Amino acid sequence: MIQFEQVTKKYPNGQIALEDVDLTIEDGEFLFVVGPSGAGKSTLLKLITRETSPTSGQILFNSQSISRIPGGKIPQLRRKIGTVFQDFKLLLNRTVFENVAVPLEVLGKKDSEIEKEVSAVLEKVDLLEKASSFPAQLSGGEVQRTAIARAIVAKPEVLLADEPTGDLDPKTAREVVHVLEKINDEDKNIIVMATHNVQIVNHFKKRVIVLEKGKIIKDEKEGKYETD
Amino acid sequence: MRQIKSTLKLLRRSPYQALAAALAMSLTFFIASIFVILIIGGQLVLNYIEQRPQVIAFFKDDVSEAKINEIASSIKSTGLAREVKYVSKEEALAIYRERNKDDPLLLESVSADFLPASIDISVKKAADIDQITKIVKGHTEVERVITPENLVEQLVKWTKTIRLGAVIFVSTLASVSFLIIIMVIGMRIAIRRDEVSIMNLVGATRWYISRPFFIEGALYGIIGASIAVILVYAALLFYSPNIQEFLGPIQVFPINPLFFVYLWAGEALIAALVGIIGAAIALFRYLKIR
Ligand SMILES: Nc1ncnc2c1ncn2[C@@H]1O[C@H](COP(=O)(O)OP(=O)(O)OP(=O)(O)O)[C@@H](O)[C@H]1O
Ligand SMILES: [Mg+2]
Repeated sequence: MIQFEQVTKKYPNGQIALEDVDLTIEDGEFLFVVGPSGAGKSTLLKLITRETSPTSGQILFNSQSISRIPGGKIPQLRRKIGTVFQDFKLLLNRTVFENVAVPLEVLGKKDSEIEKEVSAVLEKVDLLEKASSFPAQLSGGEVQRTAIARAIVAKPEVLLADEPTGDLDPKTAREVVHVLEKINDEDKNIIVMATHNVQIVNHFKKRVIVLEKGKIIKDEKEGKYETD
Repeated sequence: MRQIKSTLKLLRRSPYQALAAALAMSLTFFIASIFVILIIGGQLVLNYIEQRPQVIAFFKDDVSEAKINEIASSIKSTGLAREVKYVSKEEALAIYRERNKDDPLLLESVSADFLPASIDISVKKAADIDQITKIVKGHTEVERVITPENLVEQLVKWTKTIRLGAVIFVSTLASVSFLIIIMVIGMRIAIRRDEVSIMNLVGATRWYISRPFFIEGALYGIIGASIAVILVYAALLFYSPNIQEFLGPIQVFPINPLFFVYLWAGEALIAALVGIIGAAIALFRYLKIR
């Protein structure tokens, strides 16, 4: 369970990215975070991984305050969270397989285990044939699925996906989110997906929160994303 | 294992920086090895000198054996002498005969009275030769003193100079290689910035991220020290005839191979430490993760 309590994030340059956010995400929940550009979606996700810290308020992960975790224990938090970054952050000089293997290497797993687990996850996102390709040789959807594979390979309790459908065509975008939905069904983990893709949100009928100028203006189960 | 493999891969990818770091290290430790050998060599020469009588005092003809013995024991009581040996006129003659046994002409012309009695003094420390010589000369019964004082004095002075030179020279070179290591590893961190930040975001510990850089630093040290010791070994082998000629009766060759093993182990350890500390500073300075 993830709880935001009165969270405000003000960047050092004075920009307020989130203001007084109260939010509870239950275990196994699939949540869309939507809102216009600059609304604070990425910031919300970065607060969960402690890429950044709240200016005030606190965030609890399984009842433990994320901002009170000492620096040396941050890696342990991050191992429980898989992230699909808005800019993917794939290593261009490593193959799909090697990119997906990074979180397992970090955990100190043996080569044989890595081989097995990476293959399994590539199968799940339907990328097995591309295992030895480099990111530059992939289509947009394949890049996205590689990023998802890396985010889920270590079986995290929480999966954060920041704009994973980027500029994909509607069909590919839907496939990508379908993969996430499948993972959510199978692993019962928390999935938080930031997006401004209206069709996707309306198609999947999950919980939706709408951010605007750093504030939650709407929170609905099986919600829709209405644009005016 | 995987870490070492990926470190090696990195070294292959940008060989010039790696070369610069390893060469700086090998130059440092080559020079250091030469100083170590000079210092050990100087010590060997001093030990050699300390092992034989360095001060020989010849007595006037009319000095009695009892008086000589008295002087001998007074010298012994200074505590500076390791051994004081009385050589009577007869013994001197015997030695003389032995030395010149192939020359009947010289043998005939000499009788025991002709040679002075003496005491042969060996000191505990070569540095004390001067002082003992002074004490011996202070006795009026002594006619003449032979000492290698100049040689020893020079030698002691030289060893001191070499030690000082070693400290200054080697520490300067070590600082330079230290800085080069910091620079090279700093560049490595910069090149791997993306990788580092991704590993950090997927939960790598600081230690996990830093380890390859420490390994790299240590590797530069170990490779550098190894090259240095191999060069020194080759140089010593090549110049051994000249060195032996210079040292005369002091036997140093063949050098025990263990010496090189110890030299290598010692230098590799120190060099690895230099590399690791260099890496630590580079990491502290350039690795910005949270
Ligand atoms: N590191 C930062 N320093 C200063 N301001 C920042 C920083 N990161 C984000 N901001 C600002 O905070 C606000 C929220 O940014 P955020 O990235 O969370 O938006 P977003 O909802 O993810 O937008 P997008 O849909 O374009 O990705 C924006 O005004 C942005 O300019
Ligand atoms: Mg964003």
